[in-house]
Amino acid sequence: MNFEGKVVLVTGASRGIGAAIARAFAKEGAFVIVNYLQNKMLAEKVAAECIQLGGDGYAIQGDVTSEEAVNQMIEEIMLEAGKIDVVVNNAFKSFQFNPETRKLAWEVQWEDYQGQIDGAVRSAHYICQAVIPIMKKQSQGSIINIITNLVERPIVPYHEYNTAKTALMGYSRNLAVEVGSFGIRVNCVAPGLVYPTDASRTTKENLKELIIAQTPLKRIATPEDIAGPVLFLASDWSRFMTGQTLYVDGGFVM
Amino acid sequence: MLASGRRVYSIGERNSKMRITAGYIPNIGETKFDKKILKFQDLEVELPLLTLEQMQRVIDTVKRESAEILKSLSVSTVVDIIGYVTEQFLDRSSSYRQQAEKLLPIVTGYDEEVIRLGLTSFLKTFRKHELQRFLVEDLGNPLLLDHFQPRAKGGFSKAIGPELITHVWAGNVPALPIWSFVSGLLVKAGNIGKVSSSEPLFAGWFAKALAEAEPSLANCFAVVWWKGGDEKREKMIFEKSNLVIGYGNNETLKALKKQVPITTRFLPFGHKVSFGIISKSALDAHKAWRIAHQAALDVIRYDQQGCYSPHLFYVQKGGKVSPVEFARLIAGELENFEKRYPRRKLSMEESVALASWRQKEEMSTFTETGKEVLGTSTHQWTVVFEEEEKVFTASPLNRVIRVISFEKLEDILPYIKPYRSFLQTIGMAATPKELFHWAELLANVGVTRITALGKMTSPEAGWHHDGRFNLLDLIQMVDIESSAIVDSEQFAPYVD
Repeated sequence: MNFEGKVVLVTGASRGIGAAIARAFAKEGAFVIVNYLQNKMLAEKVAAECIQLGGDGYAIQGDVTSEEAVNQMIEEIMLEAGKIDVVVNNAFKSFQFNPETRKLAWEVQWEDYQGQIDGAVRSAHYICQAVIPIMKKQSQGSIINIITNLVERPIVPYHEYNTAKTALMGYSRNLAVEVGSFGIRVNCVAPGLVYPTDASRTTKENLKELIIAQTPLKRIATPEDIAGPVLFLASDWSRFMTGQTLYVDGGFVM
Repeated sequence: MLASGRRVYSIGERNSKMRITAGYIPNIGETKFDKKILKFQDLEVELPLLTLEQMQRVIDTVKRESAEILKSLSVSTVVDIIGYVTEQFLDRSSSYRQQAEKLLPIVTGYDEEVIRLGLTSFLKTFRKHELQRFLVEDLGNPLLLDHFQPRAKGGFSKAIGPELITHVWAGNVPALPIWSFVSGLLVKAGNIGKVSSSEPLFAGWFAKALAEAEPSLANCFAVVWWKGGDEKREKMIFEKSNLVIGYGNNETLKALKKQVPITTRFLPFGHKVSFGIISKSALDAHKAWRIAHQAALDVIRYDQQGCYSPHLFYVQKGGKVSPVEFARLIAGELENFEKRYPRRKLSMEESVALASWRQKEEMSTFTETGKEVLGTSTHQWTVVFEEEEKVFTASPLNRVIRVISFEKLEDILPYIKPYRSFLQTIGMAATPKELFHWAELLANVGVTRITALGKMTSPEAGWHHDGRFNLLDLIQMVDIESSAIVDSEQFAPYVD
């Protein structure tokens, strides 16, 4: 897999899964745009690592839930890189994955749903709206939206999060139908529990053990595990795939 | 609870970025001490290095204050204080806990996750209700430590803790020193502990937390460091102690013993070898993976550095899953755990030793039928499978495990028996009937603890370490015989 000469935007890439995806692209020679919201220092570190790994890296701040900020950011990327080949919508509204303290169905307020839907769908929508015209002109492009395997099997019903990510899967499929004619592909990657990340830091060992026991590959995912399928969906090797969801959870969901 | 002495991971040439002080010195009227600096990557640990005169004052202080203060407390108060301090170290938001999670990985080289889980599992043993278990297990009636108590045989007895226990700790497993430290406190002894250069931190933190929790105890104990083998110093301290508890390999213990005078008791805890036994009844299509998972967990916890860590697994033939398949399952689990709980970074010497060991094992597969060496030299673990191997060999540790098939337990006992003085824990997966039958056989060859797989490295509170007692070995009983009481009756002022 070689991404030399390709420009890849990864949102929420200062840490966790996003950072692992950014590094993996850079290792294959890509110019990686490391989007972040708050962690400037971490994002710049990831960008520097991208350069060390043989690619190029550029950290850029931008709140993906703000249309104006997204448009500004895409403009800046175009000035810097001249094109965008791949977009990985990885950013999401912060959420604590704690099965013990999660909200029960009857405790969830509409605002909780709205927050997560904004974080997942609205942000992906703004980014897609901004990059699709660019990709159309290029007659090619690959958009990968990071969701979760909880859309298929909500082993813990994080209502607002799971619902928003399921919506993002639906969004991706519909978008795939529309933009396929322009050579643009839209797919999803659905990781299982990924540890360690800041969001899963408080996940208890007994939940991890429960998941491991039911996972054919007998462990939980690391951030690096998620990068491979993302790179595949970004590459020409998946050129006849669109609207798909790849589950990256060691076989927990099948 | 000891395996090989671990090398200090030090990179002296780097510039230090962080320096912390360790150890705990009671108030001896001065605060200026020579310093010993131990270096661990970017961390410098500063330990007080006492002159013999200062050491003498520490001994006098600890003896005096523990006699006056600690011995005047009820044992339930002592339990409350230790339990409170333990809870602080269990609380992930406390500064003590955060300090331990941050610094122990640097000092020991263990992965942060390994330390985090290891600490919690270990410290749970010292919560209030578990401490009560320690007391009842050894004494039956904990009030024996407070007052003369009536005895079933007649008469009254009281348990007296020593004036001074000196602990010489090892550094193989982080935080482990507090096992004997807590035992010493429970019997209300004055305690002086010498920390190892490879884990000089935890015992000092615990002492500091105790003094903060109960300031009146601040001068009842000390945590110090001196260079092991400093004969003059050891002789001087041991002469003033009633009891010396030593951890280490047999050579270390032998050297220590030489310095212990005849009037001081010496309790050595040396090298031990532990292993697992898996019955064919546990090896069906459904349960085999879970057993392999638990077995691998025992291997990865502190990379087998504990005395209770497995060196090999005996696996019975005839189950749905064969011993060699089971070995492969363990290999798979070790690889999975490597991602979750990576192995400690080995020193150059350790890596070289391991590589040459592996090479030898691989060579032998050409001549020994059925033998397999699983994994490659790039893996951070090795599993060796052997058919009914007749030799009982210790593992070079650091995630190296041997799986040996057997038909009947009776067949392997003769090969284990010569190692009687080294045997300790068995992790067992078997039916209840087998468990008790095998326990009888293993007890006869010197095994002192049988536990579930996955629990080998977490002994229960109040366990009999190497078959001995936590508290009974520390105390002496004082009896008032019934004759004395009967006799005294006649002298009572109210006698009719």
